[in-house]
Amino acid sequence: MSLGKVFALDKVANLFNIIRQNGGLRGVLYKLYRQDDIKDGVLVGEDKYGNKYFENPRFFYGRNRWVEYADRYHLNYDASQIPAEWYGWMHYKTDLPPHQDPSRPKYKWMLDHTENLSGTTGQYTPYSTTRPKIEAWVPPKSA
Amino acid sequence: MLRQPLTRALALGSPTRLAPVTTRRYAEQAQAQPEKVEVFIDDQPVHVLPGTTVLQAAALAGVEIPRFCYHERLAVAGNCRMCLVEVEKSPKPVAACAMPVMKGMRVKTNSDLTKKAREGVMEFLLVNHPLDCPICDQGGECDLQDQSMAFGSDRSRFTDIHFSGKRAVEDKDVGPLIKTIMTRCIHCTRCIRFASEVAGVDDFGTTGRGTDMQVGTYVEKMLLSELSGNIIDLCPVGALTSKPYSFAARPWETRRIDSVDVLDPLGSNIVVATRTNEVLRILPRTNEEINEEWLSDKSRFACDGLKRQRLVTPMLKDSRGNLTPVEWEDAVVAAASALRDCPPDKILAVGGEMADAESLVALKDLVNRLGGENVCTEQYFPMEGAGTDLRSSYLLNTKIANVEDADFVLLIGTNVRFEAPLLNARIRKAFIHKETDVAFIGPKVDLTYEYMHVGDSASLVKDLASGTSGHEVMKRLQSAKRPVVILGADQLKTKEGAALLSYTQELASKLQENLQEKDWKVLNVLQRTTGQVAALDIGYKPGVGPVLASGPKLVYLLGADAGVVTREALPKDVTVIYQGHHGDQGASIADIVLPGAAYTEKRATYVNAEGRAQQTLPAVTPPGKAREDWKIIRALSEVCGEGLPYDNLDEVRSRLAEISPALVAYGNVQGNNYFAQALALAKSVQRPVSGKLDVQLKQLEDFFMTDPISRASPTMAKCVQAVLKQKQSPY
Amino acid sequence: MLQAVGRIASLSKPNLSRSLPSLAICNSRYASSDPSCLKEAPIIDTDAAIALPEEQRSRRALESSIVVPIKVDLSPVSGVPEEHIKTRRVRIYQPPKNAMQSGTNNIHHWEMEFDTRQRWENPLMGWTSTGDPLSNMKIEFKSPDEAIEHCEKNGWCWYLDEPKIEKEFKPKNYGVNFSWNRRTRVSTK
Repeated sequence: MSLGKVFALDKVANLFNIIRQNGGLRGVLYKLYRQDDIKDGVLVGEDKYGNKYFENPRFFYGRNRWVEYADRYHLNYDASQIPAEWYGWMHYKTDLPPHQDPSRPKYKWMLDHTENLSGTTGQYTPYSTTRPKIEAWVPPKSA
Repeated sequence: MLRQPLTRALALGSPTRLAPVTTRRYAEQAQAQPEKVEVFIDDQPVHVLPGTTVLQAAALAGVEIPRFCYHERLAVAGNCRMCLVEVEKSPKPVAACAMPVMKGMRVKTNSDLTKKAREGVMEFLLVNHPLDCPICDQGGECDLQDQSMAFGSDRSRFTDIHFSGKRAVEDKDVGPLIKTIMTRCIHCTRCIRFASEVAGVDDFGTTGRGTDMQVGTYVEKMLLSELSGNIIDLCPVGALTSKPYSFAARPWETRRIDSVDVLDPLGSNIVVATRTNEVLRILPRTNEEINEEWLSDKSRFACDGLKRQRLVTPMLKDSRGNLTPVEWEDAVVAAASALRDCPPDKILAVGGEMADAESLVALKDLVNRLGGENVCTEQYFPMEGAGTDLRSSYLLNTKIANVEDADFVLLIGTNVRFEAPLLNARIRKAFIHKETDVAFIGPKVDLTYEYMHVGDSASLVKDLASGTSGHEVMKRLQSAKRPVVILGADQLKTKEGAALLSYTQELASKLQENLQEKDWKVLNVLQRTTGQVAALDIGYKPGVGPVLASGPKLVYLLGADAGVVTREALPKDVTVIYQGHHGDQGASIADIVLPGAAYTEKRATYVNAEGRAQQTLPAVTPPGKAREDWKIIRALSEVCGEGLPYDNLDEVRSRLAEISPALVAYGNVQGNNYFAQALALAKSVQRPVSGKLDVQLKQLEDFFMTDPISRASPTMAKCVQAVLKQKQSPY
Repeated sequence: MLQAVGRIASLSKPNLSRSLPSLAICNSRYASSDPSCLKEAPIIDTDAAIALPEEQRSRRALESSIVVPIKVDLSPVSGVPEEHIKTRRVRIYQPPKNAMQSGTNNIHHWEMEFDTRQRWENPLMGWTSTGDPLSNMKIEFKSPDEAIEHCEKNGWCWYLDEPKIEKEFKPKNYGVNFSWNRRTRVSTK
């Protein structure tokens, strides 16, 4: 056990490292405000929506992969904004991120990812699928 | 209003409630009853009139004998043999429907011989009857099904049909209302007898004998009758079924709600069959004082019009002049501000042909509270003389059931056959069974029976009234013991209407004076629509003419679709509010549309041409945002700041009872009087009449589409097409 | 029957009768000859027939019911929500004969039914729903008096709807089909 560890100096070094990685004091405050957490890690990749994926094996399994959502989401981020390609990596189904995985199929008919639109104006609302029993009167249009 | 004062509760047990029904008295007074004979039905003694059939005597004893061909309102045919019963000392079983009773006859309706006879008849009937109950529309309400369960055998001994097959008959095409599957026919001839006796159309009949016998129309043609739907009810099997209702529902799936018809002025009693909040079909409900058990085709088949052209949401005219759907709040506020801003004497409220008494009284109270007096009906009635002050001047005073007992009927300018088909059926019944003669003043029309055609000039009525007429009718009228004079309300629209009414009143009162039975009523006015009598009772002014000429600023149409109020007749700056259930004439000229409920969707009071108040019951829910009519007016009055003093139906009805107790005496008719006073007042308006009497509904094709509901009905449209096509045919 | 009517009248306390004013006054009473009103012959119990007079007396005392002279109102204790007591109206009627059938079984009784309430359409399948727990409640009675008593007891507003089915009796005759001088002669067969 090194001296540094005894006096927990490596933790202090980590702190400085984290602050540096997150863009200084101003960046740290912004990240704390936005995602209540600051971590240091390796940028594994970035998807086409601007979400950044990080990994740091120093953290416990389950907390060692995370995503920082693109800035345009601001505080309105949620897990459904992670596209399907990154879903597997985020959930430890695979260790290969999509850009390093050659076996992933890519067809032009594949749909673009959409986030969950519940609660927004784009949400799905059910409508009656039955034929109306009453035929309403349509007033004649004046020319 | 749930709690009643003491007097009301006690009225329950008071003797007035036990008073016997006073109608249908005349026939019994006529001849002295002959002595009754005693017969024994299953050893139970019954006293019956001589000439009564065994089947009727059994019915009096409470024993129902199975039957297919016998129907109590049709002639005896005696061809199905299902009513065979054993009679003591008779070697063979006798047909109960045709056998008159004899003194001391002992009938056994449940003996082994009787049972065996029934089983044998059932077996024969089923030899050729197809076993297609699962796909038959009559299934579940089929007499053959019922009776084969009760009286039939569980197997057939006929094996030859395994080799020859069952008899098959080609289906006939008898029009857009009746579907025929003639293989199912058991030749009871009920349809033939109905058509020739009640409907007066001799088109149906049988051809061939034995296995080759067929019921049909000889040559393929439509059954041209306004009562044709009744043969669907009469058919004891599934040979004649309803075309619009085919494969729609089973009888046990439907809810049946007893209600009242509003499509003709008689207010026939109906049963509305509903499922999944839709009206599927309408059947007649027995009411001996109105429709017996028949129903006219319009009342029966126009119910699909309740699903089309409906007003389902309030509408307002937008800036471009198009009606656009809005919320109730906006529509009511717009209507209320229009009502408030209008000078009271410039408001015109028009009660339509199918408006119920509750909404009529609410509308009148609202307009009166705002200070207006112009509440009118669409149909005109002369206000000179007694006008509408005396109820006897605008009602069918003889009553529908009593017309049967008349011995001479004079029809003045009314084609009863299409204006009130079931009244015509009554006249025809009297014509056939009581040898009643009919005379007619008006254009030559087909009334389904022979009548004396007096002419079509209005002056004939004057001559009859003054006694100067040399026509044979004069003598017949004077010698008649129970004459009936029926005047069509359409004739009163013209300038000469007042004089014509006055002459008719004079004629009727002269005839009345000579009668031996003082309580027999002679004078009748046959209204054209259901709403008219209630509106006149409530105090609506008949006819919109004078108010329309004075240029109203606001017109409130309560289901007024007859086309008497048009945009052309109104000033440019007028606001038209339409409240009703169908998009028809009224809604198309409206600025504000308030959707109301049709007669199957509300509990409402309607008064028929006799002055009999009856109520409809809600069978289905009004579509979309439509509401009950009186509630709309009540809400409107609140926004106007002139809240009407009733919040629930009971309170509206006590308001109706304040105006006239007859409006809430459901099911009963109040007798009318003051004929002499009405005549005395009317004498002053007698002046020479010279016009010709014409009727609006001349042919069958005119009959089907006369109101917003039947105009929206696809079935009625098909009927008109079919009738016109039939007219082209050489047969 | 008069007794029954009298009983109902005495039952109806001034402030408790729910008869609807308009309808209660108009209908003439149903005919007493209604076969459904007829009671069956009494069945004589053998034990009762051979019992001693004092035994009979005590048995009769045990079997007899006590008539409570006041009106019973079950509505506070029946557990039916107030909405379904105060706002409902009950129609007491005799079921009409089905026009499609000639049989008359199952219509010789009186029924009560509640007013039809709103139904709506389920948007997924189009099935019809109702929020009315009383929509299927049809109770059969032998006479309207029993129905009225039941309604009064439960606090429902009722009205009597009598069918107009009394008909003048006219003997039927097969011979008139062939009479040579009357209009009843059949024209088609």
